[in-house]
Amino acid sequence: MIETQSLSKTYGRGEYALQNLNLKVDKGEFAFLTGPSGAGKSTLLRLLLLEERPSEGEVIVGGRNLSTLDRDEVQAYRRTVGFVFQDFKLIPTKTIFENVAFVLRVLGQPIEQQRRATYQALKWVGLQHRLNALPEELSGGEQQRVAIARALVNDPHLVLADEPTGNLDPDLSLEIMNLFRDMNARGTTVLVATHDRDLIKWVGRRVIQLEQGQLVGSGEPTP
Amino acid sequence: MTVVGYSFEEAWVSLLRSGRSALVSIGTIAIAFATLGGFLLLSVNVQHVLDQWLQAAEMSVYLHEDATDAERAEVEQFLKSHPAVAGVEYVSRERALERFSADFPELRDVTSGVGENPFPSAIEVRLKTGAGSDAAADALSREVSAHAGVSDVRYDRRWLQRLMGIVTTARLAGGLVAAILMLGAAFTVAAVVRLSLYARRDELEIMKLVGAPFSYIRGPAIVEGLLLGGIGAALALIAISILYSAGVRYLGSDLAGFVGLGQLHFLGALEIAMVLLGGVAVGAAAGTIASRAVR
Repeated sequence: MIETQSLSKTYGRGEYALQNLNLKVDKGEFAFLTGPSGAGKSTLLRLLLLEERPSEGEVIVGGRNLSTLDRDEVQAYRRTVGFVFQDFKLIPTKTIFENVAFVLRVLGQPIEQQRRATYQALKWVGLQHRLNALPEELSGGEQQRVAIARALVNDPHLVLADEPTGNLDPDLSLEIMNLFRDMNARGTTVLVATHDRDLIKWVGRRVIQLEQGQLVGSGEPTP
Repeated sequence: MTVVGYSFEEAWVSLLRSGRSALVSIGTIAIAFATLGGFLLLSVNVQHVLDQWLQAAEMSVYLHEDATDAERAEVEQFLKSHPAVAGVEYVSRERALERFSADFPELRDVTSGVGENPFPSAIEVRLKTGAGSDAAADALSREVSAHAGVSDVRYDRRWLQRLMGIVTTARLAGGLVAAILMLGAAFTVAAVVRLSLYARRDELEIMKLVGAPFSYIRGPAIVEGLLLGGIGAALALIAISILYSAGVRYLGSDLAGFVGLGQLHFLGALEIAMVLLGGVAVGAAAGTIASRAVR
């Protein structure tokens, strides 16, 4: 599903955020991206979301080389990818139903379809009773569940999550991870960046270890 | 929902949220288009006056007081046979006085105070219009002046054309002023739309990340500019119509009578469309430019 070839990203005076990274994530896999702060986890996710372009090397997702995509193709590609961030990135002026339906709305889907899919996504994360609440009326865990509902409402092939439990307590973190596991069980490829070793051990999936922008390990979590 | 429906809905919400800055923007657009509309209103009425004057514009061949009937007949014959002439009419001194008294009854005392009839007899000449008519009229004016019994020749159309030249220049100057004001208004609209985009930056970032087409991302900004321009232009038209109504009520008959116009005219459908569509176009263009900030 995801393949990087000699991928490097430099900032400023040529400092490497990622350096000569070669990795693969298979279709339908659930993998963790881990490492200390500054290891390059978020940079890799930004490159996968095409928020930034590589300095060198290639990023291939679903068989498509992302560096060849033009502006409109980038948008079309992003429609196939769900994302979840540490700070939730919800629109504060919209209700949670509108936040989730928004994805389908801007993709021009019929209203009935928007309503049905949005309700199902919010029901799946257990928030069907808070449809008209504003984000500020929800707890951090609930807000992250809304973000997860938004990420999957469009039925993406790939979901990327950047420290999705960074602002949550351990119980809520496990709850969120369960949602990712369920999502993965439905066939979606999931890549979660986190430095929470306990969480990684608890979920027990492949770990891609980065340090100073380089791949230093890949495999099952160590007990 | 289509991109158009989405853009209008979001633009309207954004406009309401913008509050005072949107009002300032609508105000500047309204001032710019009220200026343009004012010039158009003036232009429409000046054009009506000029058209009437042009239609009535004739060559007047004044005769000496002591011109004989034979001299008058010769002049008339010469004029009738001239290719630039469409028709002639002899106006005696008595007829000229009658006309003046009928046209300006309030000045009747002035003519009676003079004692003797001050008007000379004249032959009024209707000229043919079309290409080369001015040159032919000039030649005719020179030729008829040389005839015995002719004291003076007045050719109205010449000064009317000079006046039309001045009016055209004034129109261009007015258009230029309106264009400068519109440019200023466009900058204000663009600034307001940019502020709205800034206020919606989180939403725009999320839209980009979920892969929304750029028409959905930029559409509301363009429509917001379009609405600002359209509302501003509509307000300008309302302001002009109020001023026009006041003008007609308080000055209408005097002004219309003074310039020889039956009544003052409001903007025609074409001018109204120009102002409205102009506002919409300026606003949409400003919105489009502002929306380019979203990449």
